Amino acid sequence: MPITAEMRETARGKMHAESFSSRFKVFWKNVYRSLFRYGRMPRDAEGQSYAVFNNLFLHIHPVKVSKHSLKFTYTLGLGVIATILFLILTFTGIWLMFYYFPSATEAYNRMLDLRSSVDFGFVLRNVHKWAAEAMVAVVILHMARVFFTGAYKPPREFNWIVGVILLLLTLMLSFTGYLLPWDQLAFWAITVGTSIASYAPVLGEPLRKFLLGGDTVGQEALVRFYVLHVVILPGLMSIFIAIHFWRIRKDSGLSHPNENGSSARGGAT
Amino acid sequence: MREVNTKEVFPKNSNKTYGLMELVKGTKPTVGLQPDDMVFTWPHLLIRELVLFVVVAGLLLVAAFLFDAPLEEVANPNHPPNPAKAPWYFLGLQELVSYSAFAGGVLIPTLIVVALILIPFIDRKRIGVGVWFAKQRAFANGLFFTFLLVMLVLIIIGTFFRGPNWDFVVPWE
Repeated sequence: MPITAEMRETARGKMHAESFSSRFKVFWKNVYRSLFRYGRMPRDAEGQSYAVFNNLFLHIHPVKVSKHSLKFTYTLGLGVIATILFLILTFTGIWLMFYYFPSATEAYNRMLDLRSSVDFGFVLRNVHKWAAEAMVAVVILHMARVFFTGAYKPPREFNWIVGVILLLLTLMLSFTGYLLPWDQLAFWAITVGTSIASYAPVLGEPLRKFLLGGDTVGQEALVRFYVLHVVILPGLMSIFIAIHFWRIRKDSGLSHPNENGSSARGGAT
Repeated sequence: MREVNTKEVFPKNSNKTYGLMELVKGTKPTVGLQPDDMVFTWPHLLIRELVLFVVVAGLLLVAAFLFDAPLEEVANPNHPPNPAKAPWYFLGLQELVSYSAFAGGVLIPTLIVVALILIPFIDRKRIGVGVWFAKQRAFANGLFFTFLLVMLVLIIIGTFFRGPNWDFVVPWE
């Protein structure tokens, strides 16, 4: 049917007749729907599937998980807690970078600034510090949980190894961060820690010099530890966390008593 | 081409809310083979993650207001503290280093990492999976528990029982 001038007039008239608020509602709904296609609170199976499936941040999860893997007494939530701590550390760490300066003469002053002149600077530093200590402990406990539940057995051998790498990265992140406040505690802990490395035959001494950028802990060491702490190690950590999560799904979700005696075979979920 | 059979084997019954979806060829019944204990991630897993996040963030904030992160005097290369201690998780190794630098600093850490990596290739039998401290795994669990306990004891000794010159001290004196 051809569109006549009269029909156009009617359509325009209709639009004028509508109130501003109702037109804004339509506009807002269009914007909202362009972002989230499946409503705010999905209640049916289809909506619940799409809510996870169509969201970049949620689609790390499978659409369905086994009830067993949700039991708090089974996992103690340790893997999730470790991830949460890593996210909090990334957030507070980037925030701290706005105030920090990796200089042997300036770094310590910045610590004092965080205590005195930066609003809630002490909270920021304290949260970063306690989250870091907690992450080392939680990652070790997570490994213990996986061992005591036999969850490293086929088909999860590789994910156990990724977990060992993540534990080592966690220790290295904590260790490199330890130097940055540039106080007596930091300086001598790193001096002791790096001297342990030099006991290794052949490779020990070169490794220590490479880490410190010299014979002793100084300005060069501070810059190296800083770059490792804020770029290289968190980057590696993110990559290996992604592999860790990916493999959980490729290995048919978390370990489950039903797997006992069956042949080892992973499958996508 | 001629259609072989257009008549449905199991025609739809409009009085029923369910119907046969498909037929699968197989040699055994699949009913009960894998009990369906699956639930939707939204909301069951997501709500748990959210609760954990709130709890962890809350505890960290409380800890941050109650306890200050340590900050000593500015670093001074001319004034080593006695004893100079590594971060707590390395104090077990530092304790071992005090007996033998090579064993504690190199040999034992290397062996620990190699052993951890080899675990899933040595112990491959799929028994006792998915339950805490399964009876069939008593030996493996006992071994790993002993390892953790030894590390913990070494860390506690290094943290609380070592004073100047790495001499043995009693923390409450």
